Amino acid sequence: MRRAVVLSLAILAIAGGCKKRALTQNLNVENKVEVRPVTLFFEGPEMLLVRETRNVALPENHGGALSIVARELIKGSANAGVPPIFPRDTVVRAAFLLPDGTAFVDLGGTTLSHGWGTGSHEELMAVYSVVQTVTTNFPEAKRVRILVNDEPAETLAGHVSLSRALAPMPVFVAR
Amino acid sequence: MTRSMTRSLGLLAIALFSALLLLAQAPTPAAPPPNPANQATLRAANGDHVITVAHQNGQTYFAADEVMAALGGSITHEGNGFKASLSNTVAAFGTDSRFGVVKDELIEMPVAPVTIDNRPFVPWQFFQGFLIRASALDVTWDPAGRVLQVHPAQTTAVAVQVSVANVQGISKVVLTLTAPADYTIVKETGAYTVRFRSGIRAPYVEQAHDDPYVAKTSFIGNDLRIQLTAPDVVGDAYRLENPFRIVLDLRKGAASGPGTPQPLTSTKPVESPGIHTIVIDPGHGGKEVGAIGPAGLMEKDATLTLCRRLAAALEAKLKTRVILTRNDDVVVPLDQRTAIANQYHADLFLSVHMNAALVKGAHGAETYFLSLDASDKLAEKAAEVENAAKNSAAPASSSDLKLMLWDLAQQEYLNESNRLAQAVQEEMNRITGIQSRGVKQAPFKVLVGATMPAALVEVAFITNPDEELKIKSDAFQATVVEALTKAVERYKIDYETRIGIAQPPPAPAAPTTTAPTAPTTTTKAATTRTGT
Repeated sequence: MRRAVVLSLAILAIAGGCKKRALTQNLNVENKVEVRPVTLFFEGPEMLLVRETRNVALPENHGGALSIVARELIKGSANAGVPPIFPRDTVVRAAFLLPDGTAFVDLGGTTLSHGWGTGSHEELMAVYSVVQTVTTNFPEAKRVRILVNDEPAETLAGHVSLSRALAPMPVFVAR
Repeated sequence: MTRSMTRSLGLLAIALFSALLLLAQAPTPAAPPPNPANQATLRAANGDHVITVAHQNGQTYFAADEVMAALGGSITHEGNGFKASLSNTVAAFGTDSRFGVVKDELIEMPVAPVTIDNRPFVPWQFFQGFLIRASALDVTWDPAGRVLQVHPAQTTAVAVQVSVANVQGISKVVLTLTAPADYTIVKETGAYTVRFRSGIRAPYVEQAHDDPYVAKTSFIGNDLRIQLTAPDVVGDAYRLENPFRIVLDLRKGAASGPGTPQPLTSTKPVESPGIHTIVIDPGHGGKEVGAIGPAGLMEKDATLTLCRRLAAALEAKLKTRVILTRNDDVVVPLDQRTAIANQYHADLFLSVHMNAALVKGAHGAETYFLSLDASDKLAEKAAEVENAAKNSAAPASSSDLKLMLWDLAQQEYLNESNRLAQAVQEEMNRITGIQSRGVKQAPFKVLVGATMPAALVEVAFITNPDEELKIKSDAFQATVVEALTKAVERYKIDYETRIGIAQPPPAPAAPTTTAPTAPTTTTKAATTRTGT
């Protein structure tokens, strides 16, 4: 009995000697906000993606900046004559960049969640407007994986495969 | 030192030695002390390791650096995220997302990793997703025993789920597996047996089914026995990926006599090379309506009408077997469309769609084949498997080799797909007079996975009121059918000439030469059009 007490005390002493590890989350790095020009891609009259530059207040943190740029794209063109490339109820749920150069853009909204009825061309324009916008503004992003409602999606509207991260296709961009 | 002092020291030493001896002889505790709450045991081939865990919001996180180090790998901090490396395989993950990436595939975790004291802590599912790809290792977590076990994936039983459904007269038995597995399918009288070469985890022992062709399914060891309702039920088998599935399509057929079990392998009759079977895919269907025209015409209806006419024309003109991926207003998943073509060993796959654009006045036809980006990835994947097989002491499993061949087959057909797309686009432009928007490449889901020349034609813009009217009109449909039939015929002659089983078509200005008979009417008599 006495030995057991001695052993227990020894274990407690060893445990007490260890510094308890504080389970604290990393705080985000300081978010300095700066107004910077970003390049967004919308469908032009030639049925190819054309550039539109817009000044946007962006945090230095890339994760935060990526989400804001994606949201600017979904908002649509500043030119009232250019129709929005995505359904009007589309939202950007999140966007982030992994160290291997894969950017993730998580989209949502009623239309995308319940089936977007559109053709190949419009779907190609929508998908590659995201790919082109992300890879142009964030050179470390080499490919873009589009998710829908935080889940891998097969397609947005039944044509373009989203099962892999997509690299930019210059053929869809006006020269 | 005096003699009495020496004696005293000697007695003290004896007393201490006796005390130590008594301690050593003390009975050991009945069970080892449990791991503290922030520790767990990592059990791997190289032994047990104590690893740090953390608990937040009911979720257990594991110190990724400690686990990777114990397994001979490492963790590095890069940019906003982390990279895990093991056996030349790298996975990336960050604290923003519950998805990691390895070899261009997702590792799905229940929650995003966290950092604690600048160290990454991940759910155990991260290791499961990563190690299976890096080292063919599987991971299980026993929360009661607090043991994270790493073991070779080959010895892990693959869980099998069974579903049986009758769709348009065909009973589909779908076996969904948690990982690819080697198997053979054996036909016996009144039953098929799927024989797995490695351990499986069965969902049940026996289950009866209310199905016209499947009476019951039962698991015996590593065998799944599918008891048929009649001896004349026949079937075809194929597999789908992501997740790995084995599909048996069972239907009424000619009675097979009793005797030696026959392997169920192929639906393709022995026949000569050439274009014998064509799969036509009417885009969309069911609740997936596709694009809608300003007057309300739905793409799914326009494609079905057109494809039915096209199938009839191809059968009549080319005397080939033509299969529609759907013959009704039903949803057919995209991967199943090419799976149907693969299952029937089709020689050509043509998906028919109507286009849509935001730009008012968009008009014309365009034809797509699979983009180079997607094909490059396939080539990369095949090379990876090949290199892994070369560098590994263990031979690549036959599943890996089959997958490699599958991918390479797709790559091989890209050039042919390009030729087919060119023929389609040129004939559409020549015969219908519709503006040509050219041949393009894109990563279209319905073309990924086709192991034959495959193309997707966008006939016209349904969003353009003029073209919507055209699409509805019988005359325009007739010219489109003529154009597509001509394109397929042209491709068929070209292909069969190149492989040496047909003569080139006769030159028009050669009256003294005997014109060889075009082979297109003599290839195959099968003209069954099957809606699936």
